[in-house]
Amino acid sequence: MKNLLHIFKIFFIFALPIAAENLYENLNADQLKRLDYLSENIRCPKCSYGNINSSNAPISKDLKQEIANLIAEGFTDDEIFNLMEERYGNYVILKTDINENKSLFLIPLMVLLISILLVTTYTIKRSR
Amino acid sequence: MASLSKKHASFGNKLVLANFATLLICCGYLMLQFLEDNFSFTYVFENSSTLLPTFYKISAFWSAHEGSFLLMILFLSGSMFVNNSFFSGQDWMPISNATLAFILFFYLVFQIFTSNPFLTFDVLPSNGTDLNPLLQDPLLVIHPPVLFAGYVFYAVTFSLVIAGMFIGFDKKLFQSLKLWAGVSWFTLTFAILLGSIWAYYELGWGGYWFWDPVENVVLLPWLAGTAFTHSLIFSKNKILLSWMVFLGISTFLLTILASFVVRSGILNSVHSFASDPSRGVFLLSLFGVFAFASLVLFFSKSVFLQSEWPKLLSKQYLLVLNNVVLLAILLIVFLGTLYPIVTEVFYGQKLSIGPNYFSSLITPLVLILITLFSVEQFPTLLKNNKRNLFLGVFLIALVVIIIDFLKISALSVGLYFVALILSILLLKASVELITKRQISIAHKVLGHLSVVLLTFAVIANHEFSESLDVRLKPGEEVEFSNTVVRLDSVDVEGEMNFDTVVANFSIQSGETQSNLKSEKRVYKIGGVITSETGIVSTIQKDYHIVLGDRFQDGSWSIRYSINYGIMLIWISSILLLLSMLYGTIRRHGY
Amino acid sequence: MATRYFLVLILALLVMMLSIFSLSLVQTDELQTIKTQEGKKLIISEKIYDLDGNPIPFKSLTEGKVLLNVWASWCITCLVEHPFLKSITESKDVKLIGINYKDQSFNALNYLDKNGNPYEFSIFDLSGDISLKLGVTGAPETFLVIDGEIVSHRIGEVNLEVWNEKFAPYF
Repeated sequence: MKNLLHIFKIFFIFALPIAAENLYENLNADQLKRLDYLSENIRCPKCSYGNINSSNAPISKDLKQEIANLIAEGFTDDEIFNLMEERYGNYVILKTDINENKSLFLIPLMVLLISILLVTTYTIKRSR
Repeated sequence: MASLSKKHASFGNKLVLANFATLLICCGYLMLQFLEDNFSFTYVFENSSTLLPTFYKISAFWSAHEGSFLLMILFLSGSMFVNNSFFSGQDWMPISNATLAFILFFYLVFQIFTSNPFLTFDVLPSNGTDLNPLLQDPLLVIHPPVLFAGYVFYAVTFSLVIAGMFIGFDKKLFQSLKLWAGVSWFTLTFAILLGSIWAYYELGWGGYWFWDPVENVVLLPWLAGTAFTHSLIFSKNKILLSWMVFLGISTFLLTILASFVVRSGILNSVHSFASDPSRGVFLLSLFGVFAFASLVLFFSKSVFLQSEWPKLLSKQYLLVLNNVVLLAILLIVFLGTLYPIVTEVFYGQKLSIGPNYFSSLITPLVLILITLFSVEQFPTLLKNNKRNLFLGVFLIALVVIIIDFLKISALSVGLYFVALILSILLLKASVELITKRQISIAHKVLGHLSVVLLTFAVIANHEFSESLDVRLKPGEEVEFSNTVVRLDSVDVEGEMNFDTVVANFSIQSGETQSNLKSEKRVYKIGGVITSETGIVSTIQKDYHIVLGDRFQDGSWSIRYSINYGIMLIWISSILLLLSMLYGTIRRHGY
Repeated sequence: MATRYFLVLILALLVMMLSIFSLSLVQTDELQTIKTQEGKKLIISEKIYDLDGNPIPFKSLTEGKVLLNVWASWCITCLVEHPFLKSITESKDVKLIGINYKDQSFNALNYLDKNGNPYEFSIFDLSGDISLKLGVTGAPETFLVIDGEIVSHRIGEVNLEVWNEKFAPYF
């Protein structure tokens, strides 16, 4: 029985997907920070939601490894973002760029300022 | 309207009861099919299997669109019944009932024609396709019912607001409104907290909030509901009456919008139900009909709702500002969540709005929010002292310039700021406790304190948390941030409906040693692989290990994280809930 | 007067929102969230081997019409589309080459023994590196490569419907 369990054990473990080889061992602390930042802001292409840091899909691990290699080769953050966008489309870029979406950032702030002004002037008018 | 005879009213009450009873029978019947593994029902076939433990067979009832909507309808009918028995014989009750009956009717039509859970197969399949493994978790068993309850309770506050618009707000109506607003807010907050806890422990991503579209969409009614609950405080003196009515309507409309977004599947998310366009069309039209009807009603009655307006720099004025900030946050969440739909429609392109959009915009607003309600705690500051106000604004501007000059990270500044406010509030509460032997409005002080504490914990979590990816063989260890992690052993175990690889770790931090195990499960039906995170919690920080893939040389990749403030987040949220519960109960003297 | 402006403003916003939602609902063709690799050249810089370890000349992938299918023994959807792939190779003149993605070779060979082998051969991609550079996000995925250029790319299962839409026009 125990033997059978052992055989089953081996088969079961071997049925799982295989991981990539090294695990960002060649990066220094700063580069690891960058790797973390990049992985937080790139969406897992296989999943419905979640970045490649948090997802368990094989592709996420591979992408993270590839990004680690790119960092080690001296690519900048922007270059890596562009590379990923070129390959998978801009859907995978989670980071929202202020310069490309100015209105998206400005609208709520404008609305807030205008409504505070309106409320205050209205209050002053009513109290007279 | 008030001329409706007693006889009609009591007949109405009986009909409400009959409606609730028939819906109960209907739900009980579906539940029975789950317990008896009757796979000839499509809905049972798709969401259950004979291997599923009984506990999850029960929860499979509300694990997909059809059953969960049916449950929501049951709750709606139930709360209508409860409202009737608590406040029977009031003038406004028939209008409230009629409004709820309208909602109930449309929901039922929706259920019957687009999402019938009682469809059957001609042949009897031998086994079902099993419940989604991610949903096989005790927290997710209670999360959906609580969430739907929160949604439908806001339908009751909506009906009360509508009734008030027709025949005026009397004392009893305010009492009922405050009770339901308190209960709804409590329920919805509790649901969000449960979802958050589930995400942290079950999803295994080391986070509690991901700015996922479906999470955001629940936040919309919650934010409006928060503003609504606050606007009710001064409504006794008819101050801000129309403002309160507007918020009451919006909150309910946002709950329908939330249902629409989740159930139509127009946004990609981890939580979405399987999409079906006809459902989307129906829910969207429902939203449109209710929105137009109630807004037109609101504006046609606006003369009738003429209300007092607060004085400049009074408590009520601060409350209005607070509400405005809350609604600005709502706008940010709304835009960030739904903007991808706009780009999709007009540019034919999917776009991601990332967490950085939400956090960079919302963090300063939350800081403003807690500053505003903290200032409110010190009435002397507000009394006719415009010079102080200008001094305050000047000081803030100065601090902002210094921060900018020194290039201190915004997060740590936020942390100091929140800590400062936290200590001021605590000091004030304790002084009050010592001098007056009591805190004047305990639930209010506690509630706001816990919001500040929550903000503190969230910022601390972002500021200090760190993680490490590493590969370990059994017996190996690695040092990280003053702790030593060791992979003791890896075992394989079998359960009723899944097999699992269990990795045992020990973590040495100074003198203390703790053990945890992290799993990787393969479910027997469908072969889905899930990770069970290993977590050791202390009040200050969590040790969190996710088991990754196996390498050919027998080592395993792991992601080891130290997450700060998680316990504090849960504790402050629970304090917040308790204070709301106490406030709601106290106000009514039950 | 102010309330009337407010009413008009709110109703306008509401109408705008409703129309955007409706437009999004009637949009029937499912938008690809992830960009396909169509129009790009097929590039593999590593040396490639089949499941038995025999080296394969890269040229065999770039000559004529080649259907590349990414699969793995641990992938459930692959098993679902497997019968369809078999029927396609039996009924039509299709050169089908597999890319065995992140798999043990004996698991992969077992899988082919058990379920039949529609592939001319399968490229062994244990680390997933070859696939990653191709823009593969997971298994299954299918590429149609004509003379070294990717003309059609399907992310996910291939069935008759998908075949007719994406691949049949080229055969």
